[in-house]
Amino acid sequence: MHDRELLRLENVTKIFPGVVAVDGVDFDMNRGEVHALVGENGAGKSTLIKILGGIYQPDSGRIIFEDQDVVFYSTHQSQESGISVIYQEFNLIPDLSVAENIFIGREPKRILNRFINWKKINSDAQVVLDRLDVQIDPSEFISELPVAERQMVEIAKALSIESKLIIMDEPTATLTEKEVRKLFEIIDGLRNEGVSIIYISHRLEEAFELSDRITVLRDGKKIGTRISANTTEGEIIEMMVGKVVKSYFSGERRASEERDVIMEVKNYSIADHVDDVSFKLYKGEILGFAGILGSGVHHLLKSLYGAIPRKSGEIFFEGKPVRIDTVRDSIRLGFGYVTEDRKNTGILPDMSVLHNVTIIIIKMLTFFRGLFIKDAREKESFERIRGRLNIRFTEPGQKIIYLSGGNQQKVVIGRTLITDCRVLILQEPTRGIDVGAKAEIHRIMRELANQGISIIMTSSELPELVNLPDRCIVLYKGHIAAEFTKDTMDEEKLVAAQIGQKVGDISGESL
Amino acid sequence: MIKFLKLYEKIGIFIFFVLGSIFLSIASPNFLRGDTILNIVAQGTYGAVVGFGMTLAITSGGFDLSVDAVMALTSVFISILIPLIGIPFAILISLIVASFVGMVNGLIITKLRVSPLITTLAMMTIIRGVALIVAGGKQIVIQQKLFMEVGTGKTLGVPNPIYIMIVLFAVFYFLLYHTAFGRHVSAVGSNESAAKISGLKVDLIKIFVFVIVSFTAGVAGTIRTSQTLIGIPTMSPGFVLVAITVTILGGTSLAGGRGNLWGTLFAGVFISMIYYGLNLIGVQIFYQMLSVGIVLLFALFIDGVRSRYLETMRAKGIKV
Repeated sequence: MHDRELLRLENVTKIFPGVVAVDGVDFDMNRGEVHALVGENGAGKSTLIKILGGIYQPDSGRIIFEDQDVVFYSTHQSQESGISVIYQEFNLIPDLSVAENIFIGREPKRILNRFINWKKINSDAQVVLDRLDVQIDPSEFISELPVAERQMVEIAKALSIESKLIIMDEPTATLTEKEVRKLFEIIDGLRNEGVSIIYISHRLEEAFELSDRITVLRDGKKIGTRISANTTEGEIIEMMVGKVVKSYFSGERRASEERDVIMEVKNYSIADHVDDVSFKLYKGEILGFAGILGSGVHHLLKSLYGAIPRKSGEIFFEGKPVRIDTVRDSIRLGFGYVTEDRKNTGILPDMSVLHNVTIIIIKMLTFFRGLFIKDAREKESFERIRGRLNIRFTEPGQKIIYLSGGNQQKVVIGRTLITDCRVLILQEPTRGIDVGAKAEIHRIMRELANQGISIIMTSSELPELVNLPDRCIVLYKGHIAAEFTKDTMDEEKLVAAQIGQKVGDISGESL
Repeated sequence: MIKFLKLYEKIGIFIFFVLGSIFLSIASPNFLRGDTILNIVAQGTYGAVVGFGMTLAITSGGFDLSVDAVMALTSVFISILIPLIGIPFAILISLIVASFVGMVNGLIITKLRVSPLITTLAMMTIIRGVALIVAGGKQIVIQQKLFMEVGTGKTLGVPNPIYIMIVLFAVFYFLLYHTAFGRHVSAVGSNESAAKISGLKVDLIKIFVFVIVSFTAGVAGTIRTSQTLIGIPTMSPGFVLVAITVTILGGTSLAGGRGNLWGTLFAGVFISMIYYGLNLIGVQIFYQMLSVGIVLLFALFIDGVRSRYLETMRAKGIKV
């Protein structure tokens, strides 16, 4: 057994001023093992892998890699030893080619060892890419690749180093279901070649599917390691959050047809993305939209909010035909929208929590059309929203970037609620949020629905789409492929419909 | 360290200001006299006034390089218009012309989607050219001595430009921190996409901001013209550097979203103190440009250090 061991951490501790990021963690890895590392945000996962990647050095404890005591002082040193880390934020250089990125710092040279051997770098890159079985041209610029392919280039880079240990931090966050499958195959292949993999993910079902063992961190401490086959999601979640989460998806789901129609969309088309989609939205329901990249779901939701123009189609709101050409039109009607990219299109990072929530209605909180903000009324509106969403912060003047992802998301949702919105469109409501906060967002969504707000949502996390909405419509290549009610909803059928399998083959309601 | 940097962002310029005052009061026995101080403050008004506008522009995520050309254009218009329509209307029309330049800037930036840097760089030479053409390439002497009151006169013993500065400060302070417009400006500078998704009229807000910056340049141009009684098409080359220095030194983040008007006010006067200090040690006037450049570099350096440090701390998971 011992000769199979590749890496062992003993009592590793890393302290930053004011916080013990990693607290006496023991951890071991065998050769050819896939080991999932899970924990909520701030549990210490990132710090731990940065110690292995040579970005941080531990304050105490031992790292034993291939039976040698080691400390990595640079990324280079850690790579030399055979460890490569694929961080969540890509470390690729957009203006260099795929091949150059793969071999950066290790380019094959010629002529006095000074000039890059272009022929060789491209062919070497091709070899690595072939091993991954991906269709990427090595001479293409990174900036021209979609996110998923960049992920593959990162993996190719790790492979080309002949790594013994590859650490993947949330590799599937940006991938579609199909690409995730591909990645899993690759990981399986690597495992068979004897490469060890530390796999970090928020998606527990992935951890279970892939890993041999799962280690849970919480507050910088190791809570425990379990053999994946011998544990349950419930147990792992309990270890992660430190308490029993009663139900991941709380709240009673109701049949939508018992309610009034609030909005009806007829023959809706968006150039190149959505073709002739019609559906009804009921009052107080949660309507899910499912679809892989290219299905048009993202564009449809954005367009309903007025952020991208439609080609044709009609919208009836409370029975009356309405025009939604701009964001302002839809806000006036009582629409709210939460983007899938909280960091880049959601929060106002330089502004306070208070100002982030009130920005949409600030003009209404003034004397004389925009002059003199009424501070008291602003506070009052804010407090109402805060109570409804249970946003946690130190003071309303605190900058939003210092909140956790979950609380930031609540602020962004709060911004829409403050307009008394009646239709709430949520793209990826829980992306990048830890498990505890996820359950809370789900609870909030259900509560809002119970208060009569109609919610349209989409998510790349299947369990969320299967378990949360009252109904779910699946788009495939811009068309409605299937519709499921809460009774007919089923993970496998949903996946099948998303990848375009014939409606007749699955027992969803055909349209 | 974190506390220090956060504090610095708020009151850093104030510390320099106090240190500078202490230094000057030791170095020069004349410094602590009322008229010397008033004179220094009065000389700081240009920087501060255009700095207010620039603070708004940088808060909105923009930038305006054309301010010194607008000052020159205003100067030329005033000197031509005063004999024709009298002083009050000449000032009014000239300020409208200045604001109009800002509107053109804003329209090009928002409707043609050219970057503020390129747009205002081009407008800087265009407007300078227009000023030269309108003036026929020469300086224009103003005969009405009364106009001099604007820039050199005193009310209750205090130079008039100081009143202008204080009034504009109050207006800008109110605008930035107590109106919906000010909140919108911060939002646009903080995250334009998020502002758009929230239904803000981003283009209109930006156009307004550029109108306002040009207006402040017009005011500064008016004051300066009145002090010399000459319309100068080549007025204040490179003054834009002072305006930007004042803004950054005052603690407004170059990244947008956060404006610090108090800082701009004190930085404006601080620059004037540097000039006074240089004069004191007998350095020639043209070294002033050099000193402003050095101060700007320093301010940018501190701005960079601060954001990098806070970024690192955040990456390490430390609450800042």
